[in-house]
This record gives sequence, structure tokens and C-alpha cells, in this order.
Amino acid sequence: MDDEQIMREVRAGDVGKLEALFDRHHRALFRYFVRLTSDPSWSEDLVQDVFFRILKYRHTYEPAMSFRAWMYQVGRNVWLDQAGKRKGEVALPDNAGELGSSDTPADRQVQARQETLMLRRALAALPAEKREVLVMSRYQELKYEEIASALKCEVGTVKVRVYRALRELGDRFFALGGERA
Amino acid sequence: MMLCDRIREQIPEVLAGRLDSAARERLIDHLDTCSACRAEVADLGVVWRALDAMPEPEPSPQMRARFLETLRAYEEGFQEAQRKQTYSAPRPGWLASLLPARPAWGVAFAAATLLVGVFGGRYLLAPKGAESGGTPEVAQLRTQVESLRQLVALSLLQEQSASARLRGVNYSFQMSQPDREVQQALLHAVNHDTNVNVRLSAVDALAKFAQSPEVRRALVDSLPVQDSPLVQIALIDLLTQLEAREAVPAMRKLAGQADANESVRARAAAAAEKLGGSQ
Repeated sequence: MDDEQIMREVRAGDVGKLEALFDRHHRALFRYFVRLTSDPSWSEDLVQDVFFRILKYRHTYEPAMSFRAWMYQVGRNVWLDQAGKRKGEVALPDNAGELGSSDTPADRQVQARQETLMLRRALAALPAEKREVLVMSRYQELKYEEIASALKCEVGTVKVRVYRALRELGDRFFALGGERA
Repeated sequence: MMLCDRIREQIPEVLAGRLDSAARERLIDHLDTCSACRAEVADLGVVWRALDAMPEPEPSPQMRARFLETLRAYEEGFQEAQRKQTYSAPRPGWLASLLPARPAWGVAFAAATLLVGVFGGRYLLAPKGAESGGTPEVAQLRTQVESLRQLVALSLLQEQSASARLRGVNYSFQMSQPDREVQQALLHAVNHDTNVNVRLSAVDALAKFAQSPEVRRALVDSLPVQDSPLVQIALIDLLTQLEAREAVPAMRKLAGQADANESVRARAAAAAEKLGGSQ
């Protein structure tokens, strides 16, 4: 059964069915929040909050809408509610301090780890709205139409935002590495 | 330049393999003639691929259990509410199924029966002309229904099962003028209920009593004694919404508490700054 059909049944009062949607999507939603916040414990609370809101406000689900788009719309509201109060602050990855050295590491594995760290750092430093749209597109595998629906904007706007976010991430990433590809 | 802008906006899609073939052909044609856009695709391709290497974090196993606990409590409460709706349309045998199994419900049930009997009877026996909305009888009946709700909420809040207490809290939402006793029961739930969901809902319900200085004080006092980050955050949010400046010292203390949850500390610091700054 597809997500939308299950959500229609939840909306109609079969609230226990939400378990199936939780099972399908909680991991992806958790990762989405971790990429936005760099804080796994906070991300778990955010996921709980999203599904509780879905339950509480299930009557506001429009049956024609993609469930995933709606879930991310709710997720976005939950995150904005909380992040706004934290002034959009994002924790840097724990081991971000290791990035100080500019020596070229001999070992490829170490280099790959450093690259990942730099990228995490660059992503964390990205303005919240850019990080959000980029994570939605790159990791959550949401279609531009779904992102537009979650962000309540035009598809064309999503396209421009994803590009600009990736561009800025690239600038920050290369600046951290001190070189271009 | 306009063309370059349009082409560049398509780079994330082409990297994700989502661009349709016609658009991809147009992009490739453009790249053949434009070295700046070629460099852009190469640059962004490096970043795009590097994003693949980012770790895939896993949630803790408790997360699912926590959600299921909430869902089950909600489900029970919801089914109970639906059953109650069904009872309101009496049919043969409905009385037997309503007979209470627990003492707390017994009190509420007896009171409910009495009130409905006395005031319902008075309402039905009232002269025809007195049926318009503003008559003292109707007003009195409304007051009594309100008292009945309070009684039911109170009895539910004292139940053993967390889902029943959750229903009690939800019941209190329906009251236009919740009385002191319900208020006290909700405050007791915020500070002492063993179930996080009951505590959370009680915080929400208490927003109604915001004008009472006693409630505000009790909410501030509750902040340091809570052990659940969720409840602490709910309290901080409510106190911020109420512009409760008297909560600033407690919030600052919480923000500086090394053993407190990191999110709670950040939230408390932001709230203290917001409330303190507006003095």
C-alpha cells in the first residue's frame, strides 16, 4: 500500500497505521535532521515531534499531496520552530578541530576522512535555508516538485536554490581544503 | 550569460541523473563551447561526489520504542473518545457497558448521572418560551456540563494507566473555565507524572491558565526538577511565549548546568536572552 493511502486511513481515524509510515520514513527523517543540525540526540527529538504533529494534525493532510512532501513540510516547521530559537546555530562536527593541518596526508584513507570532515564542516557553515534545500535534494532524494511542495514555493525557485546551495558549499569546501579540484 | 545561468541551474540535476535526455543534450552542446561552464560542472561534480562519502547515521533503537509508546497512548485515548461519542447516542444495553470498573470513574459517573438527571430534567421541563440560548436554565445547564467535564478530567488524571491520564489532560483542553482543582491536578501531572507524554500534554494544557500568577510560578519552579529534555523544552517554550521574565534566573541556571541536555541548555540560554533582553 502506498504512503498516501496509509495516510488517508490515518486521517480517517485508523491512527495505529501511522506505525507503518514511521517504520518507512523515520530513518531518512532522522538523517535529514542530523545533516541539518549535526546533533543526533536533538534529531531524534525532532523526529518524535514530527510524527506526533502528524498524528495530532492528521486532518490537515491533503489526500492529493505526496506524504513525503507533507512530512518534510511538517519537519521543516518543527525544525524552524526550534532552530529559530537557537538562532540557526548548528553544532560543528565533534572532530572538526582536526582540520587544522594543511599537510598532505600520505594515507588515502586519512585523506578521505579529512575530506569528509571538511565537507561536514562546510555543510554546517552553510546558511540554514541553503543547507535545507541541498539536503532535501541530495540525500532525501526528493523530486523538485516535492521540495517545492514542502517549501511552498515554485519548482523553478527550488532549481535555483539547489544550484546556489551547491555552489556555496563548493566554495566553502575548497576554501577549507585550500585548493580546487 | 543568460544561457550560462540557465545551464548552471541544471548542474545538480545532471549530477543526480535526473535531467531528461533532451535537456542533457542541450547542456552537453553548451559545455562544448563554454569553458567556464565546463569548469563549473567539474567543480560541482567534485563536491557532489564527495557528499556520497558522508556517513549515514543510525537512530538509537529507543527512538522507535518511544514513538510506539506515544502512538499507543494516543490510539487508546482516541478509541476511548470514539466510544464515548457512541455512548452519547443511547441504545439498548449501553448503560451496562458504561458501568464503571474503577472507583475514580465511579465518582465521575455518579456525578454525571446526577447532573444530567437533575439539570437535563429541569431543562426539558422548562416552559417552551424559555428554550432560547440566553435563558438562565440553559446557562445553568452549560455551567453544569462544564463542571461535569472538570470532574471527568480530574478522575482521569488520577487513573493508573498513562493513556487514561493523557485523556484526562486532553479533556481539560475542552473546558472554557477550568477550575482550581483541575489546574492543581495538571500542575501535579507536570511535576510528578511518570509518563513523559502526560507531562508534555499537561504543559500544553496549562497554557490556558497563563493569567494565573500561581501557575506561572509553579511552571518556573518546575523547570529545574524536570528530568526529561522534551518537557524542559516545552516548559521553556511556554514560559517564553508567556513572556515570563521571572523565569530568566531559572533558565540561566539551566543553561549553565553542565549535566543538562545540550539542546535544553541552548534553548534555555536563547530564551533567557530573549526574555532578559526585553526588560
